[in-house]
Amino acid sequence: MSVELDVFVGNTTIMDKEVYQLWLNGYTVNDAVKFRIEGGVMEECEASAEVLLSDTMDQYRTFQMCERLLHHPAKLANQLLFQIPPDRQAMLIERYYAFDDSFVREVLGKKLSKGTKKDLDDVSLKTGITLKSCRRQFDNFKRVFKVVEELKGPLVENIRQHFLLPDQLAGDYAAIVFFANNRFETGKKKLLYLTFQDFAFCAGQLINNWTVGAVDNMMEDMDVDLDKEFLQDLKDLKILITDKDLLDQHKSLVCTALRGKTNVFNEMEANFKNLSRGLVNIAAKLINAKDVRDFFIDIVEKFIEPCRSDKWTSIDVNLYLTHYTNSVHILDTFKYHAVWTRYMGVIKSCILRMYHD
Amino acid sequence: NWNCWRLQDATCAWFTLSSLLDILTCSTLSAARSQHSLFFLSHNLSSSSSHTYTYDPVNPCVLMECVPPCSDRPGFGEETPGVPLSSGPPTPLRAQTFSSFSPSKSYSRQSSSSDTELSLTPKTGMGSGGSAGKEAGPLKVFLRQQTQSALEQREYPFFTLTAFPPGFLLHVGGVVSARSVKLLDRIHNPDEPETRDAWWEEIRQEIKSHAKALGCHAVVGYSESTSICEEVCILSASGTAAILSSRFMQDGPLDVEHRFEEVVSPGCGFCHIPYDELNIPFPAQLTYCYCCRRYKVPDVLFTTIDLPTEANVTGKGCLIQARLCRTKKKAQGEGNATAISNLLPFLEYELHTQLMNKLKLRGMNALFGLRIQISVGETMLLGLASATGVYLTALPSPGGIQITGKTPSDITYEQHISNMQKKINDTITKNKELYEINPPEVVEEIIGSPIPEPRQRSRLFRSHSESSDEVSELDLSHGKKDAFVLEIDDTDAVEDIHALLTDFSIPAGFYSCNTEIMPGIQNWTSAIQMFTSVRVFRLNTNLTNQGLNKIFSDLCENLLKSLYFKLRSMVPCCLCHLNFTVAIPEDELIQVAVTAVAMSFDKEQTLENGKQSGEKTLIKAITDEQLQFSLELNAETSSPNPLSSPKGLSDVGSHPSARASSMEKASPLPEGRSRSLRSNRSYSGSSVAVVKMTPLSFIPGAKIIKYLGIINMFFIRETTSLREEGGVSGFLHTFIAEVFAMVRAHVAALGGNAVVSYSMKECVFMENPNKNQAQCLINVSGDAVIFVRESELELTSVQPQSATTQTSNGGEGT
Repeated sequence: MSVELDVFVGNTTIMDKEVYQLWLNGYTVNDAVKFRIEGGVMEECEASAEVLLSDTMDQYRTFQMCERLLHHPAKLANQLLFQIPPDRQAMLIERYYAFDDSFVREVLGKKLSKGTKKDLDDVSLKTGITLKSCRRQFDNFKRVFKVVEELKGPLVENIRQHFLLPDQLAGDYAAIVFFANNRFETGKKKLLYLTFQDFAFCAGQLINNWTVGAVDNMMEDMDVDLDKEFLQDLKDLKILITDKDLLDQHKSLVCTALRGKTNVFNEMEANFKNLSRGLVNIAAKLINAKDVRDFFIDIVEKFIEPCRSDKWTSIDVNLYLTHYTNSVHILDTFKYHAVWTRYMGVIKSCILRMYHD
Repeated sequence: NWNCWRLQDATCAWFTLSSLLDILTCSTLSAARSQHSLFFLSHNLSSSSSHTYTYDPVNPCVLMECVPPCSDRPGFGEETPGVPLSSGPPTPLRAQTFSSFSPSKSYSRQSSSSDTELSLTPKTGMGSGGSAGKEAGPLKVFLRQQTQSALEQREYPFFTLTAFPPGFLLHVGGVVSARSVKLLDRIHNPDEPETRDAWWEEIRQEIKSHAKALGCHAVVGYSESTSICEEVCILSASGTAAILSSRFMQDGPLDVEHRFEEVVSPGCGFCHIPYDELNIPFPAQLTYCYCCRRYKVPDVLFTTIDLPTEANVTGKGCLIQARLCRTKKKAQGEGNATAISNLLPFLEYELHTQLMNKLKLRGMNALFGLRIQISVGETMLLGLASATGVYLTALPSPGGIQITGKTPSDITYEQHISNMQKKINDTITKNKELYEINPPEVVEEIIGSPIPEPRQRSRLFRSHSESSDEVSELDLSHGKKDAFVLEIDDTDAVEDIHALLTDFSIPAGFYSCNTEIMPGIQNWTSAIQMFTSVRVFRLNTNLTNQGLNKIFSDLCENLLKSLYFKLRSMVPCCLCHLNFTVAIPEDELIQVAVTAVAMSFDKEQTLENGKQSGEKTLIKAITDEQLQFSLELNAETSSPNPLSSPKGLSDVGSHPSARASSMEKASPLPEGRSRSLRSNRSYSGSSVAVVKMTPLSFIPGAKIIKYLGIINMFFIRETTSLREEGGVSGFLHTFIAEVFAMVRAHVAALGGNAVVSYSMKECVFMENPNKNQAQCLINVSGDAVIFVRESELELTSVQPQSATTQTSNGGEGT
């Protein structure tokens, strides 16, 4: 004796958010039923396990049928098969494209290739996220990447339009695409303390300030690549550390401004040349693709770690960087003010964001 | 008290059955026999040569009132119901109704009764009308005759409609039904319809004569169905015998407004018995109407129609289902037909017992929308009866259910019985609270005078059964009411009662009914969710009847539970038009398909207001000049077709397709229509138009401004990659979703934004998992309409149509 067939189809497709989440999380029907029973839905609605199983199977089927539409969210609004209210559609899309921070930290900056996909078992083991869910998230990254790779115009806007994602999520995807494209290294031990949101913030800064689109969004090129000309120009900043007079002048300006305003003044004064050298060197090296990848490691090694060992607070860092940036404009022999501002603006906000435990 | 007795052994069973038929049958044996040489060799209980048996399930409880629990045959004739009451020579009515076949008795008697039956029928109608003059007076007779003349012009005064304008139904007699088992391979030329027409003719005649027997001249809520397995076919027809208002039956131009407003009918009129009190066709327990106190009403009323809008109802209603499964030996041809014929009466009897018990358990006294489906398979028969139970204020309050044991000496057994009794009483009390049934109890004592007569008579009946009844010592009254006695004499009964009690209670916030709307709920919100659910269950072989019953019952219960669970977000809501369809697609498979609509309602609003506004919209829709149907009515003034409640409209529209085309021509607004349709599309955000679907004839909170015609679509889908498509469930899920999508697309293409009166008429599913194949056929139908939200109507007011037409036309050019 068994139920051979059991379907329920509504004119308006019924989708339970909770079951959808369980499906997205890659649980099997039986596991999902267990979760639901634990969640107490049974007491709430006087249902039996049998009813739950039937409902869960039904919902899973519906989601599977919807999945191919979710791969192209714009189609979801124009398909005829399922009558889904717009707010539901938005929910479906948003949740389908949502990802786990712990998962994305594992693949951030990696090439979205078959090779990486093969390693997802390890990621699944490490993060405790089901393989199915890992695959979905990975495929989402890859799909978004493929679509926006060739598109002109602002990255975030492109993602938002093509995948109908909310601003925040579109921004996150932009970061993921940007990292994947530039292959930023994020997995090193020193970087593990950084969350995805830290990186996403930095990516946003880079996209908004250092890419071609940042200066001219009518350009053929788009937001995914850094502005080569700018990177070239960054080499000119080297003068700040190579010209001894300029370096001393810079130091004295900064120290004058900082004196008495912070508890770690002595450390700042002592470290000034080191820190300045570090930051300017990072700038000068960015023209090389390999050094671009190490951008975040460099920032941590050359700036954040020294500051942290001297027990600077974020306020100290902010104060230091503000004066460090502004003082340059007073130097009379320095000519590359625009490049400096563009560079330091991003660096400063990235460091401030990354400066935590 | 038709539950007093139980089928105990073969002979007794055989016997009680025959008695049942004896009482109920208005048989058409002669008709059957005349056809016998043509297409079938028939067998019935008496092994006479007919297996067309018919059965009149009007008020089955009442009907069985005086069937003795266990007596022997000779006593039977004397106890023929109605006889003790008869004061004069039997009227033609009684002769026709009661002299029917009994097992081995007079062959000649059967034929004489049935031979004369048809010729007698007109007289019968007159006769009962004439003798009814006691209270109803000559007016009633006059009206009836007048109406009758209008109706008698029709060969079959049958209406498939289930809802009527207020005042149209004067009296409702009860359910009439007829069934016939036929062998399809006996048709000589299967391509020609003659034989089949003759079969249906036979059944319709029977229905007509049943209605006459109940003193009614028309049948409303009429439907026909078939169930086929191999070469055996069961033809079924059922309806509700009724007397209709002559006002609506007049020929000539229709003055809609006039007719609808003139009638002010009290909420109890239709409950009053149409038949003559002294010549009741069955032993009914009549009382004076609890509303008007002037006319007689039966104690229970079963009907196939929707609850009339004017009906006075106490509390809320609920879905009541009786489910039954009976095993049957595999057989071929005639043998098979005989086996089925022999099983059918038991099946129907049991279904009615269940319905009755469940109705009493819920403290209700009337069933609406009764639909009994019998499905035949190779090794079993399935019966599913669905109806909506309500408490009609006009009818007496039902008594409780009293169970009695066979062996009173056994103390533990007594204990068990009294426990069960307590459970039953608790359940009744609980249900009365749940469905808000609290009729005023006192009236009976105060008025007093009209009551004694029926009471006396009921006692009279009781003494009959008590005389031969072991449980005669029992106090048969429950409170002040007569109790309904269930005797537990075998394990079956215990299980039945158990099943009765274990029917799960509906979750809080839910109501359910199989009629259009739930009595007592008027203030619907606009949230509706139509759905179809299909389940197929595979049975083990070698199941007992009991086991089968349990499985089938659980299958239906679980399906309902699942529906409640799925729709929990819509609470408080009512599942309306819950339409179950059962089938036996293969030997060990049971298929149940449900289509219904869940509608949310607002608890806060007062019911009175809701009711009023609901009625207002009824009238509004009818008198609306934009309706195609009013155009049609004008164009065809000669044809008397004034039944146009909204439900009526949709039904008329869905029937004759030929007429639909004529309507197309008659419509002066073909272009305007196509334009105004597009305007609806702009209201949804996406490029896909939202199309509402509902099995009901209306959309809550909205006004249907145009009917665009019938949608009737057949789909066949086949797969040779069943596993890859997610198995049978995946396959059917996709298919049904696609069917919905195609219906919606079709309606949207016509410019509509909703389908009303939607139904899935056919869902035939076949699979062969070994070959990785499956096939499915689905037939759906409904009416494409354009509706406008009432709130929007008020906003745009005077000339909304032309305005939207103009503006929208420019915007969307396709």
